Amino acid sequence: MEFLLNFIERTGAKAAGWWSTTYGIVSFLTDVLSTITRHTTWNRATLDTIAKQIYFTAVQILHIYIIYVMAISWVIITITLSTARNVGLFDAATEMIIRVLLLELLPFLTALLIALRSGSAINTEVALMKVNNELDALSHCKVEPMQFEFLPRIAGGVISVIGLTVLGSVLTTILAYLSIYGMSATGFSTFSTTIATVFSVNILLGLAVKCTFFGLAVTTLPMAAGIETPKKLFMVPVSVLRGMMRVFLALVLIEVLSLALKYI
Amino acid sequence: MLTESVNSLSDEQTALVSLDLPLRANLSARENVALIPLYQKHFDAAESSRQAQALLDQLGFGAISDKRDPDMNPSERFVTKLARALILKRPQLVIERPGAMLYDIPYPAFLRGLAFRIENGPAKWEVFDFDWNRPLYD
Amino acid sequence: MFKNLHLKVGLFVITVLVLSLGFLLYVMHARGFFEQRQHLNLAAASADGISPGMALTFSGMPIGQVSSVNLNDAGGIVIKAEVSQDGARWLRVDSTFTLDKPLVGGAKIKVSSPNLSSPQLPDNSTVLLLVTDPTQEIPALIERVKNILANVEHITRQDGELNGALANVKTITGRMNGKYGVLEGMLGSEENARPVVASLKNLETLTKRLNDVSAKVDAMLAKTDRWLFAEDGLSEQSKQALAQVRAMLTDAQGSLKRVDALLKNAVDISANVKDGTQDLGKLRADIDEAVRKANDLISDINRMWPFSKDADMKLP
Repeated sequence: MEFLLNFIERTGAKAAGWWSTTYGIVSFLTDVLSTITRHTTWNRATLDTIAKQIYFTAVQILHIYIIYVMAISWVIITITLSTARNVGLFDAATEMIIRVLLLELLPFLTALLIALRSGSAINTEVALMKVNNELDALSHCKVEPMQFEFLPRIAGGVISVIGLTVLGSVLTTILAYLSIYGMSATGFSTFSTTIATVFSVNILLGLAVKCTFFGLAVTTLPMAAGIETPKKLFMVPVSVLRGMMRVFLALVLIEVLSLALKYI
Repeated sequence: MLTESVNSLSDEQTALVSLDLPLRANLSARENVALIPLYQKHFDAAESSRQAQALLDQLGFGAISDKRDPDMNPSERFVTKLARALILKRPQLVIERPGAMLYDIPYPAFLRGLAFRIENGPAKWEVFDFDWNRPLYD
Repeated sequence: MFKNLHLKVGLFVITVLVLSLGFLLYVMHARGFFEQRQHLNLAAASADGISPGMALTFSGMPIGQVSSVNLNDAGGIVIKAEVSQDGARWLRVDSTFTLDKPLVGGAKIKVSSPNLSSPQLPDNSTVLLLVTDPTQEIPALIERVKNILANVEHITRQDGELNGALANVKTITGRMNGKYGVLEGMLGSEENARPVVASLKNLETLTKRLNDVSAKVDAMLAKTDRWLFAEDGLSEQSKQALAQVRAMLTDAQGSLKRVDALLKNAVDISANVKDGTQDLGKLRADIDEAVRKANDLISDINRMWPFSKDADMKLP
């Protein structure tokens, strides 16, 4: 009997925890939305901060990102081509490469890279701001941290995920063409036909939406986790751990949903 | 008792200088002060920066404007917080437990010196301090 | 601290914008947004296996794709296809359109224009889509497979040419190792070496014959290959049956090739022995080497081709 009661109590506590977390994230997102729609938000200072965030999130790692993307793309293109040759499905190789790399792998890996590098940094910073009372100080001064701390990071994150994915995709497309047809224009029309088959309007829109959600996930979830940190210094690592776990789950969820929408 | 009375002060009327309201750690002194004209009063970045610098100059600490919180000594940190409170232009200024922030100088004299430099500041300056520190102010 | 921050961010943003715009334009170009496309109506008895996006190819090059498959009011199939302006050059009034469903890979519609001097096919014309029915050809196909298998069995059966050749090799090596073997005789006089040389010469002719046989099998397999994969598609169970047949043929071919290589090796050894008779010391070394090699050969052959068992080719 007591065991049953304990069990019910624990389930209740867990559900309450989940509820408060979800509520926190949702209220944070509504806050973000209301800040975006306010026209006073979009002044020169905000744009400057967004530029700074894009610099930190995307431009600073551009060279590393390009090496990373080229290496992964090269390996996967080579494996796909040689397998396709062996199995006798060489005609399908281009489509396979485009579908796997451009539509799924590159956006996901980009989001993962930014989550690892910037998401964790954002989570730690916000958690420290919360623990150090800096957020309280700002609210006492009636300066919304949303406008100059959070929103620029979110905008920077979304723009960076989209921008890096575009760069990586273009590089991968070129690399794929060169791997399949070499330095000649002979395969161009065949290649274009495959590109045309894969990239319908829906797919392009879906890709843009997916990248936007990836960008939102890698920035808003760490921030929300940082804000809900209790005012105790030792809770900062716990907050980062929780935030990053949520980011990971969200990325997988977005990817699975996009695949389900595409192929089911 | 002390925190209660501080909490009872309304945000709208009172600018607070307190140990519990730290500076934004990754911004310089000038940027910390400039946040208020920039995001609350919607001045542009250059004008906000100029106002912040002018205030710091007036307090006699213009040289610290590029320092960030971790690089400041207690009086520099205090002055930046004071500048941030002053630029809010609220009718009442409350300095809470100055001894906790200015632990390495004879702070009542330091406060008087700063107050002397401020013209057309807030109508009312209030210092909340522990009762046993009263003799220091005489 | 961050000099040129705005410059770098600006460069990044502009590059990304230009690239996305470029990519978008490229995709629109690839999808034929900017060019006039020729429309084509394909009439077919059934839309089975036809889906929008399916490619139209001319000599293996894609020239267009199926844009929609619908039923009309009369219950007929209306397949609409679009062909690029460039590809439309190859469409003639006497072009044939065939639905091509290979065993592996996506189906496509093959366009062939036997007479390129015929007049061009006008826009929005309706043509007939041919769908070959492979199920009717399956009985004939099975008959031909049976013939091939019978041939293969003939080659590999117990008293067949292949086993004869292998038995010969065994005999030779047996003699070399035997109590009154060639090796012992070799130490005394070179007279006794002659039977070895003769045997090895014999082996050479055998190998030649075996080569011919395996060439024959190769030719047959090549034919089978062509014929298995040239057909337009097969029903599921015959597909499986054929895959099995093909696997067996490949196996048989592999074994024959391995035997062939080993026998060639034996021929080389015999040549060495012939040269060696001029120098007894060298000959002895050669013979030692030959015996060792032949022993290896025998164990190899035994491992790869079990003599004791029945021939492992069976009709399905």
